[in-house]
Amino acid sequence: MSRALTAALALLASAATAPPTPGGTVVRPGESLAQLAARTLGSEGAGPELLAFNHLEGAPAAGTQVQVPGPERARAVAAIGSARSAIGQSPPGSARTEAEARLAEAESLLARARYAEAAAQADGAWKLLAEARGERSHFAVAVEPDGRTRVAVREGVPVRVEAQGRARAVRAGETLTVVRGESPGTPQLDAGPAEPPILISPEPGLKLALEPAPGGLGPVRFAWKPVPDATGYVLELAGPRKQTLRTTQPVVTVPGLPAGKYRWTVRAVQGDGTLGPPATRAVQLVPGRIKLEVKETPWQ
Amino acid sequence: MALCLPLLVCAPACRRDAQAPPAQAPKQSVRATLAQVNGSVSVKRATGDEWQAAVNGTTLYDDDKLRTERGSSAELHFPSGTVVVVSEDTLLGIAETRAAPGRPQADVTVLRGAVDATLDRPANQSLTVGTPAATVRAGREIVFQ
Repeated sequence: MSRALTAALALLASAATAPPTPGGTVVRPGESLAQLAARTLGSEGAGPELLAFNHLEGAPAAGTQVQVPGPERARAVAAIGSARSAIGQSPPGSARTEAEARLAEAESLLARARYAEAAAQADGAWKLLAEARGERSHFAVAVEPDGRTRVAVREGVPVRVEAQGRARAVRAGETLTVVRGESPGTPQLDAGPAEPPILISPEPGLKLALEPAPGGLGPVRFAWKPVPDATGYVLELAGPRKQTLRTTQPVVTVPGLPAGKYRWTVRAVQGDGTLGPPATRAVQLVPGRIKLEVKETPWQ
Repeated sequence: MALCLPLLVCAPACRRDAQAPPAQAPKQSVRATLAQVNGSVSVKRATGDEWQAAVNGTTLYDDDKLRTERGSSAELHFPSGTVVVVSEDTLLGIAETRAAPGRPQADVTVLRGAVDATLDRPANQSLTVGTPAATVRAGREIVFQ
């Protein structure tokens, strides 16, 4: 097993355990460096990091007081975990290659107990990929009366769910439920509507000629097929006028909109109040008043 | 003349002071603004005990609470551009935020109900949603001090 892989696994194991208790501890009789690292940092592979943090050259003898890093390490480990998750989801390309290099540097800095620099490198890798993807982040959080929390990520970069000192990344299309007082379990594939609403009208890319109406041109009718189990819908208009409309029916008629190009997005409101995946189309509204002139006929 | 100038500058301010109400606490930063208010939506200020009806444009500050009744909804628009859709039958609070300068951050605490959040530029925005069971961090989560 390569050193890099070993380090990565050690880091994963470290991140998956409870955060270390900051402060100091005493080396127990017969305790190896790996055992000490596992006890204090949650990872047998973190021995060199513990030595670097304490400015030690070799394994400390029994009875030696060693210092244990605090929140600064947790922050660095969290940043590295987020960066790794983002890299795992990103397609091959220059951004990913550079992000991987930054992540490797962050892991190296972590192993040398340079936590602030490690966090900054990992954050830079994450930001690089987030900007390259150019996606927005869309997620929902629902809280039951007993405090049980359900997190569903619809699109974009993963979100991080923390509870009881443990953290989990939840990716697009996944759902995670956390019971009060317990640490987060394993994310599941989202059981929500598998498909976004099927849009009906206006047709894709249509140039819609409309009469003048209050507010611009109109009326504009937006329609889509009903989504099973939906309790309502949210229609978002982006263009010369930005507007969000909520409805219980799969159709909305807007009396008037300023002329121009619009993107309209529909999401179903699910049973727990969260929004389902979006469906988007473009439409252009143009003045289309047909002027009728009836001339007098010379006929008798 | 040199002596008169400060007096001239001071005069209007002094008159204002004489007529002004008692000094108030420094104004807080607006954390979020309500939009798309639909149905029965109310706000309880951090400094008050009463729930007041909310309307579009109502501004929210640290530790304010927001409540939507059944069949009601609203949107929270944060200065960072983050939009949080608040579903029906939801109770949430605006959490006190200590963001670093230039790092837009928004925090809410959901005690009951559901929210749906969208970050248009997650590389430059962050949102933390606290609940009784967990903390959800989205966008750029590391805020360097």
